[in-house]
Amino acid sequence: MKQIAIYGKGGIGKSSISSNLSVNLASEGLEVLLIGCDPKSDSTINLFGGKRIDTVLDLYKKNITDPEKLIFEGYNGVKCVEVGGPAAGVGCAGRGILVALKILSKDYYLEKGFDIIIYDVPGDVVCGGFAGPAREGYADEIYIVTSGEYLSVYAANNIAKGLFNLNVKMGGIIGNMRGIPNEEEKIKLYAEEIDSQLINVVERNSKIYESEIEGKTVLEKYPNDPLNSKFKDIGAKIIENKKSKVPNPTTDDKIRSIIGGLY
Amino acid sequence: MNILTPRPNPIVAALYTLRDLDVDVAVLHGPSGCGFRAARLLEEDGMKVVTTSMSEEDLIFGASDKLIEVLNEVDELFSPKTIGVVGSCVSMIIGENVKKAIIDSGLKNKAFFVEIHGCMGANTRGAIETLKAAMEFGLIDEKEFKRQEKMLLLATEVESNSGMAKSKYTRPSRGTELKTVADHIVNLLKDNKKIAVILNAKKETAYLFADIPLAINLASKKLGGSVINVGNLSTDVGLLRIKRYAEDIKNNFESNEISIDYISGGMDEYPIAGKNAIEYLKDKDFDLLVAVGIPQALPVIEKESIAVTNGPREVHPLEDVGYKYVTVEIASHSTVMGARDIVLSELGEAIRNAAGIQ
Repeated sequence: MKQIAIYGKGGIGKSSISSNLSVNLASEGLEVLLIGCDPKSDSTINLFGGKRIDTVLDLYKKNITDPEKLIFEGYNGVKCVEVGGPAAGVGCAGRGILVALKILSKDYYLEKGFDIIIYDVPGDVVCGGFAGPAREGYADEIYIVTSGEYLSVYAANNIAKGLFNLNVKMGGIIGNMRGIPNEEEKIKLYAEEIDSQLINVVERNSKIYESEIEGKTVLEKYPNDPLNSKFKDIGAKIIENKKSKVPNPTTDDKIRSIIGGLY
Repeated sequence: MNILTPRPNPIVAALYTLRDLDVDVAVLHGPSGCGFRAARLLEEDGMKVVTTSMSEEDLIFGASDKLIEVLNEVDELFSPKTIGVVGSCVSMIIGENVKKAIIDSGLKNKAFFVEIHGCMGANTRGAIETLKAAMEFGLIDEKEFKRQEKMLLLATEVESNSGMAKSKYTRPSRGTELKTVADHIVNLLKDNKKIAVILNAKKETAYLFADIPLAINLASKKLGGSVINVGNLSTDVGLLRIKRYAEDIKNNFESNEISIDYISGGMDEYPIAGKNAIEYLKDKDFDLLVAVGIPQALPVIEKESIAVTNGPREVHPLEDVGYKYVTVEIASHSTVMGARDIVLSELGEAIRNAAGIQ
């Protein structure tokens, strides 16, 4: 069983990539568990036709911690969990993630025989709680989603610093392109700069957004679209990835020179 | 310097300061175990202390609704005139909006918020934040706030210059046996010697520490010798409650026909009153100095001296500066809460025994 966590700048498309990746891995016959760690609980929404599932922390408030009751089956048989959390502006979402990870008994999931567990983690590693899925015993390797834009790479580098501090392996970078010049090359160069690798890139594509408006993944709305092959390729590379290692984060100046040098 | 010795807590200092201000109820917005020991002692002293009993769930989702509920329950149960709401580590880390909760509870005319948690440094910070909040709420004026703030900052200095914050780690100790100290004092009196006693006590602990000058005076009346009495027993300085403590102790001395030779300051002025006391004794003739309460706030003099403290961790620093004997009144806080007269001290008892007073 492989456990991975997806990190990246807020709004960069982590949830779109996680959900499309999950359904395409499932269509290849893999048992997939997708765990959304965002207090907004929107990681799995596109596997349920736009509906929200009960979250671990909402159920915990009602004293329900039976792992069977925390898992919901979404599109294409992908098993889904949402951690949930406090309303915006109150409480502590980071603590929520740590508590939810404890409730999600790992032994139970091992028994279930999943092939891959994907943790979709919100935004940057802003506090200890958000680093929870990256800690020992949860994700074996981390994938960072970034575009070729400066602020996105900057955020990726900050996450790489977190992984370096926590001594956590990074599987690679998944590009989510915004359509800027030489974007793939910029992302690739940055990945190499931090001793990591570029897994693949997803082109900007309106089919993703069109699917999401209906609460669907691309596979559900456009089953024959080539985008699905792209996600299958990313999935296959992740499953076979043997090159994960602790990243070597770089400096702000170096990021600027990589990105600026390619205009 | 990172000091390893556990030291008093700003949250607890905030609770004690609310008591000094005669606040009726303290609501600690935090876990049920936070400030547990202090809460019980403070209730013996007449202030109600409750917590919002925050749980893991509250830590994740926030507990403002719970706080509002607790404020209303407290209002119904105790009909308080004033309520102090005190922060804790957990409620402050998660950024609870306590001021808004107070407004939403409808009790903003009775309740005020002390924004404090355990990681804010010295305990005196908790006292200062409480006084500041009380000033903004209208319980004390700015002049009184400034005066007390100055004293508290000086008290912090005393601890880092001469107390348990002086070195990286301070071992607790009970110091010299009480009987040794008592015998020494009584023998000097029998030899017709002169003893200067400085009571330099912090607030309510004076109810206990005052028993030592009381016992020495009683022993002197019986056995001989003479006593110079100095104490921070001014009834003109500080909060009503604190002035009342001084009044109570003076009344006791008066009824025992003990005269106080010099008032060195108020009961919350222990960081400076010790210096005043030593200044007063500068040209006086005496054979032994007995300093009780906060002896670490006294300048060290070149004369045989005994220190009596209530902090086992103050013993080594005091021994280091040259006190002949240092001894500890271990039970000071549990015995003085709710007191309105001097309570028996262990050293006082040992002196009475040595002097044959029952």
